[in-house]
Amino acid sequence: MKPLNLIATLLFLGGAVWALTRSDRSVREIQNAYYRAMAPFLKSGSKLETHARAFLEETRHSKELEAELETTREQLGRLRLIESRFRALEYENVQLRHALSFKEATRFDVVAARVIRRNPTTWWQTVEIDAGSKRGIGTQLAVLSNEGLVGKIDRVDSGGERSSVLLLTDEKCLVSARVEGSPEVGILSGRRGGFDGEPVLRLRFLSANAAVRPGQRVFTTGRGGIFQPNILLGTIDSVEKGALDSEALVRPSVNFADLGAVFVVLSADS
Amino acid sequence: MIRYSLATILLLLAAFVVQQFLPAFTGLHHSRILLVQLVFLCCAVTVGTPTMLLLAFIGGFFWDAQCALGPHGGDPEVYTQQVENLQFGYSILLFGGMGLLMHGIQPLFKQGKWHFSAVLSGIAVLLYLAAEYTIINFVRGEFTLGRATMIQMASTAFLTMLFSPLVFWLLFRIAKTCSHSINPEAGRRRRAR
Repeated sequence: MKPLNLIATLLFLGGAVWALTRSDRSVREIQNAYYRAMAPFLKSGSKLETHARAFLEETRHSKELEAELETTREQLGRLRLIESRFRALEYENVQLRHALSFKEATRFDVVAARVIRRNPTTWWQTVEIDAGSKRGIGTQLAVLSNEGLVGKIDRVDSGGERSSVLLLTDEKCLVSARVEGSPEVGILSGRRGGFDGEPVLRLRFLSANAAVRPGQRVFTTGRGGIFQPNILLGTIDSVEKGALDSEALVRPSVNFADLGAVFVVLSADS
Repeated sequence: MIRYSLATILLLLAAFVVQQFLPAFTGLHHSRILLVQLVFLCCAVTVGTPTMLLLAFIGGFFWDAQCALGPHGGDPEVYTQQVENLQFGYSILLFGGMGLLMHGIQPLFKQGKWHFSAVLSGIAVLLYLAAEYTIINFVRGEFTLGRATMIQMASTAFLTMLFSPLVFWLLFRIAKTCSHSINPEAGRRRRAR
């Protein structure tokens, strides 16, 4: 080997070892610097993706859109009714709590955001949203849609205008979950390589004789310090019983293929 | 030579910018064009070992900066079995490995047979993705390889390979601008004719 090549190889290996031994904090600092430099291009890139998606939406058949509009109107009317009932109940609840000298317990601050980029990486299931630290968003906050839990904030850009959301369908997004109508609790997560058709989640560490059946709903427990309790996660699809524990496959309640608007929970009472 | 080496570094950095405009093809199991890897592979076959290793370091370092996930967080008493992250910097070694593979057929490229390099770039991307997926399985346990993952890897490699002639054309133009020959033997043969 030529001396120059040998020196280059040694320097390369030294550099690789240096990078491999960075702490989580240093990695975050490196990422922040990288995304700060990329910010103008990311903005244009996500604009392009949003325009392309909007164009595809526009080209959908007008009758299909009309039917969708009609359904949405019906749902809006129904939700308005529910909301008015909810407001009345909330008012009644506050009055009763006040009467019983309870402390305020109905705080639930959320920030609405739009999904501007989908799956920017090869293996991780993430999306980017158009809200960041400027609107009070930090890491490890729960992200919801009107259908249920979407995921959690993984990274907030240093510019303060964008964040990356790790989706519930990713293997790394772990959620402490309970099965409705049973004492069973477990850990819910996505599945590796889950790009084939509809995503399915794994609910692990259920007891060996878990009395759970397909169709039961799964909610967050509120344990673990990230997700608030009683957020809908999905419905049990099948149960596999093992010698030591059981595992259930869960269909997520959120349609991840059509994720448009999401809500980041800034603070809530558990 | 130095001007050409600097140009390849700038081209690799430009590939990171263009990559932001290339979304995943949802209809093809989220396949995508890996432009950064492609530009690195095409550059690797046209430069010497020290420049190739420098490009591998820059490419792998920034790729990991773009893709690395944060720690899980939460109460460790509840989340007792956390899913491991891939160590930041692993891509540097993968880029280095791919670069060495491309260097193996540098003699053919120097003779003017760039087509072999174009095909090999597709194979190298496939190997890169396979190695990355194997590392994920090794670090996180429970080896799983579904049909969707295999299609995703194969179509990503194929789509990426389709763009290699364009990148080689760009490299030939850059080399000409820098008054540098990246396939000297082919040039000598042309002149002899």
